[in-house]
Amino acid sequence: MSTSIPKLEAGCGRIASFLHGNSAVLSELSSTYPLKLISARVSSRPDISIVYILSYGGGLVGGDRTHLNVKVNHQSSLVLLSQGSTKVFTTRLQQKHINSPLPPIELNTDAGATIQKMDFTVSSKGALYLLPDPVTCFRSASYKQLQTFHLAQDATLVLLDWITSGRKSRGEEWSFSRYYSLNEIFLDGFTSRPVRLAKDGLLLEEEGAETNGHSSKRSLAQRLAPYSCYANVVLYGPQIQDVVRELTAAYEKISVMKLTAPPDLLWSLSPITCHGGGRGTIVRVAGKETELVKDWLREALKGLAQVVGVDVYRRAFAQ
Amino acid sequence: MALKDEDETYLLLLLADSNLPTGSFIASAGLESYLTHAFKSTISFVDDSISSYAKSALPFVSDAHRVVSRYHLQESEAEILALLTALDNLYESMTLNHVARRASRLQGVALLTLYSKAFSRRDREASMSSLVTEYKLSIRLEDTPGHLPICWGILTAALGLTLSRAQYLHVFLHARSLLSASVRLNDLGPYNAQSVLLHTARPIISAAVAKSEAAHTGILVELDDEEQDEKGPATTWPLGEILATRHDLQHSRIFNS
Repeated sequence: MSTSIPKLEAGCGRIASFLHGNSAVLSELSSTYPLKLISARVSSRPDISIVYILSYGGGLVGGDRTHLNVKVNHQSSLVLLSQGSTKVFTTRLQQKHINSPLPPIELNTDAGATIQKMDFTVSSKGALYLLPDPVTCFRSASYKQLQTFHLAQDATLVLLDWITSGRKSRGEEWSFSRYYSLNEIFLDGFTSRPVRLAKDGLLLEEEGAETNGHSSKRSLAQRLAPYSCYANVVLYGPQIQDVVRELTAAYEKISVMKLTAPPDLLWSLSPITCHGGGRGTIVRVAGKETELVKDWLREALKGLAQVVGVDVYRRAFAQ
Repeated sequence: MALKDEDETYLLLLLADSNLPTGSFIASAGLESYLTHAFKSTISFVDDSISSYAKSALPFVSDAHRVVSRYHLQESEAEILALLTALDNLYESMTLNHVARRASRLQGVALLTLYSKAFSRRDREASMSSLVTEYKLSIRLEDTPGHLPICWGILTAALGLTLSRAQYLHVFLHARSLLSASVRLNDLGPYNAQSVLLHTARPIISAAVAKSEAAHTGILVELDDEEQDEKGPATTWPLGEILATRHDLQHSRIFNS
């Protein structure tokens, strides 16, 4: 299933999807440890490729670096999923202890940040649905995710990027040390050069100890309370216009009277326009529980079932 | 064109005047929505808002200031305008919230109007006046958005204020505008607001400025992957983004953002 390319460095991966007749074909699917890619298919939609990114599910440790290159070629559709949330640990030693009843031992918290870099190119009429489970950073973990998207003018993108507060069962509530996620989206074809539709950088860091003397006393947990899961969804392109229309209509119907307590789930929607005329939509969600956010996303994106088929949609938003 | 201390102090006093027609009195930067959604602590809001705003906006203030400050050196007006437009477009693509974009544009163009109508001296600083006029024109033609941090950098550099003063004052004005909004919303009393501004906000402003004083956007000097988070602009308070975006959903509201 996977062709190994000898020159691939550790943590690297490549995916390329094509449409051959009515069948989706992965002309490239290769990866090296700790990144693992597994392809899947649903018989009802042979025209759609599904790839599971298993670094997302298996867990990453301090110092791990992965670099994934994804090409969605003309007219093809690719769905990228994970199996369980991306767990980010601080050290390898700590990883061994995650299933033991003992609290993790933090011998070396200077192992460095975990860095995941992903570059996506989506050609004309192609579609990329990036729908992983959320990232979960364990206590003291440091994680960096840099995603770049180059989209043809008539390409389609659904980008979901979300994070949980940690392992609540172990009392972790926003107790990692650093999380940075950057999503940068470029559009081709509107002007002579690619234009930037969006550059969304989110930095969550515990500042308590770092800036001595100047430090504001608010912890990360205080800043993000009462919510323990935050999600961003970026929507672009012709294939998801119905989803965008429905969501926008639902959003515009909301009228907020003075509340007595913050709601369990909050969401916002903003149209994005860039010079040259490209238009996208960004949706942000915060929820008191990860499950609440997941349920909300499943409902909000249910229109995707029309686009990628019910079976693929169910895989993405499995209960 | 370094200013003498005395001149710089005078400028600071002038720019800090709350009567300055900059449109900031209609902006609450999400505070009104925050209170409507039953979040109660204005002090916490001020803290989180200042930290996130400084991290996302100061790199743009700084780069716009750097660009305009070197106008005297060698670069042509066209080159300066192109760089400012690139900064402005980047800020637009990083401000993924239509309510904040709207407020930022309104205040940005107001600053340039203030410069042309009140501060510029065409006889002595003809080239600077012309630069600002040209930039204002391209905002009107919608060739560039004209966001607040970029226009603040332009204004303060055109007046000769040092970069560190420009950075500090920008964050201070953000804080003061939040506290004025709080008073107008009948949230903090007027004396309490002043007390918060003097005692509580001050260390928060200092810390936020210190953290981002060397930050930049990546337009003038490239930012590589390693430094994007440390040196580049970023949001640090996603809850604030959601609440600020939801401003327009409020059944009744008195502010524009």
